[in-house]
Amino acid sequence: MTTLDSSLVSALRTSGVQLTIGPFLVHVRSSLPGVRNYLDRFYGEFPVRDARDGHFSVSVVPGRGLRRWIRPQAISLINGARPFYPLPGNLAGPLFEWALNWAIGRVAHRWVVVHAAVVERGGRAMIFPAEPGAGKSTLSAALTYSGWRFLSDEFAMLDPATGLVWPMPRPISLKDGAIEIIRARHPDVIYGPEGTNVDDERFVHAKPPVSSITRVHEAAVPAWIVTPRYRAGAPTSIVPVARAHALVQLAGQSFNYNYLGVTGYETLVRAIEHAQCFTLEYSDLDDVIARLTEMTDA
Amino acid sequence: MTLDYALLVRVLRDPAQLAGLWPVDVSGLIDAASETRLLGWLVHELDARGLPVDAPEWLSDRIGSARATSRECERALRWETDRISRALGATGVQWMLLKGAAYVAAGLPPGRGRRVADIDVLVPLGDLPAAERALNEHGWRPGALDPYDDRYYRDWMHELPPMMHEARRSIVDLHHAILPRTSRLHPPTTRIVERAVSVNGVKIPCASHLVLHAAAHLFHDGEVSGAIRDVVDIDGLLRAFGGNAGFWTDFVGEARALDLQRPAYYAVRYARRLLDTPVPASVDRELRAWAPPAAVAKTMDALVTRALVGPTRTSGAKTAALALYVRAHWLRMPTLMLARHLTHQMFRRDAST
Repeated sequence: MTTLDSSLVSALRTSGVQLTIGPFLVHVRSSLPGVRNYLDRFYGEFPVRDARDGHFSVSVVPGRGLRRWIRPQAISLINGARPFYPLPGNLAGPLFEWALNWAIGRVAHRWVVVHAAVVERGGRAMIFPAEPGAGKSTLSAALTYSGWRFLSDEFAMLDPATGLVWPMPRPISLKDGAIEIIRARHPDVIYGPEGTNVDDERFVHAKPPVSSITRVHEAAVPAWIVTPRYRAGAPTSIVPVARAHALVQLAGQSFNYNYLGVTGYETLVRAIEHAQCFTLEYSDLDDVIARLTEMTDA
Repeated sequence: MTLDYALLVRVLRDPAQLAGLWPVDVSGLIDAASETRLLGWLVHELDARGLPVDAPEWLSDRIGSARATSRECERALRWETDRISRALGATGVQWMLLKGAAYVAAGLPPGRGRRVADIDVLVPLGDLPAAERALNEHGWRPGALDPYDDRYYRDWMHELPPMMHEARRSIVDLHHAILPRTSRLHPPTTRIVERAVSVNGVKIPCASHLVLHAAAHLFHDGEVSGAIRDVVDIDGLLRAFGGNAGFWTDFVGEARALDLQRPAYYAVRYARRLLDTPVPASVDRELRAWAPPAAVAKTMDALVTRALVGPTRTSGAKTAALALYVRAHWLRMPTLMLARHLTHQMFRRDAST
């Protein structure tokens, strides 16, 4: 794992540095050690250079006045806007992640962005569009650490020009019970510190395999659209659904297809056109991994 | 990074400067324009001029996103206007659109790519219950407010608490006047309703009233970003209407009729000062009679200049911005109420951090 060299560390504190995360250039600036440690831990393989521009500019700054010392705070500025309330200082690293999510969901209109996890096998992508809490991060983590390529646990970025889905292999955000499940199965993975987010959920970030990170520029063909739902004790059930159903699901989970007008709609149609579409209910990870792997081998 | 409003105002004055900006400055301009809700204007200017050929990919992505955003904002606003039309059309209520929604409906320059947070609708006071009921029946629900806020609206304001659509989450502010009940000025709603004009199937205020409403709003929300946008609106409207026969005479007459002489004076003064808005010399002389006492005029000039065109990050600019914020509330409320309100807001801000 590489770490920021000393000149970049000082740039991070002052004018900021520029990270290349897939198709995005992200200017990040922070004097907080939490952010530096977070970048070291999770973004060591991403190109970083001394520059102060890019798609998004994220600053994570300490609270002012007494707040520097008493119950310290972290405040995020994203392209000059301040969309979040200040958070406790120990969340400075994850705050960078959430700020970036906010920016991608809001102003990355070169792509049709869908709230979904994405993994890949044999060049073909499986997209899990779902609301928060459906278990898409857990599912994508389990598949990833079992040999699938990880593209994202948050965004399916569909390229209107090619119809392909772009990788965004940033840290996987595990919540509540999923933390212990994934930790127990994969103790060797690099994890961030556990914290509590604004929705009062416990969370831990997990680092995707380096093999997924280094393939950040390899887009994949959408081949399966699977709407997942975790239900305690449920047997694995994979039920084919009409493409129209998957289209509605993708549209419902899209942040911006309406922003792209007809192109946005056509991009979603293109994603389902040659894909097999299913709903998935599961609770047993080993079983669901085996079933999905078998399905993709067929 | 802090928003660079000074750069924004420089480019607003002289859009040709866009050609000479570095990518990082254009990027900063997108940020500032987005915050001031002037993204539609910026996209229009960028598209009219063509991108510099050597624009890096990240910048063309940013501009593309800005273009998509402003198109979608305008489309969504047109759709909401259509839905409001359907809700209120059958009631017999005399309703009209105000501000952003009116500019978009009429295809006026300040409506380009307009992002509107709240759609402002004006009805005569007597029609308020019927209009509220009709909007409610079509899915707009009154927000869940704490008792302080609800009372603030119902007792003191010129509008009902914002109503949000249960499915689409669009917000309608239903007004019965263009200024708060507690304001020192009381432009009569009846005159605005009587002189309303029809455009594309909806009613909006007449040209003079559109400008006067923007003028009445100038510096009223107390935010610097809002003030810049208000001045841009006033400039855009005056440039659009200024050449029409009889506009200026009508404007001066209506400023009197609505009792908005002082806001009219400020609007024209700062539109000219910031954006060189063309105003006939005779009108300028007439409006000067509505200037505040010399000492007040001087203070306002200094505050506005420092807050809007000075370097944004200086403490002078921040003090000026704060002074404008307090002044905005001074205009809206009697002194004692103001003290109470600011204290309440101060504790609330503190509690939320």
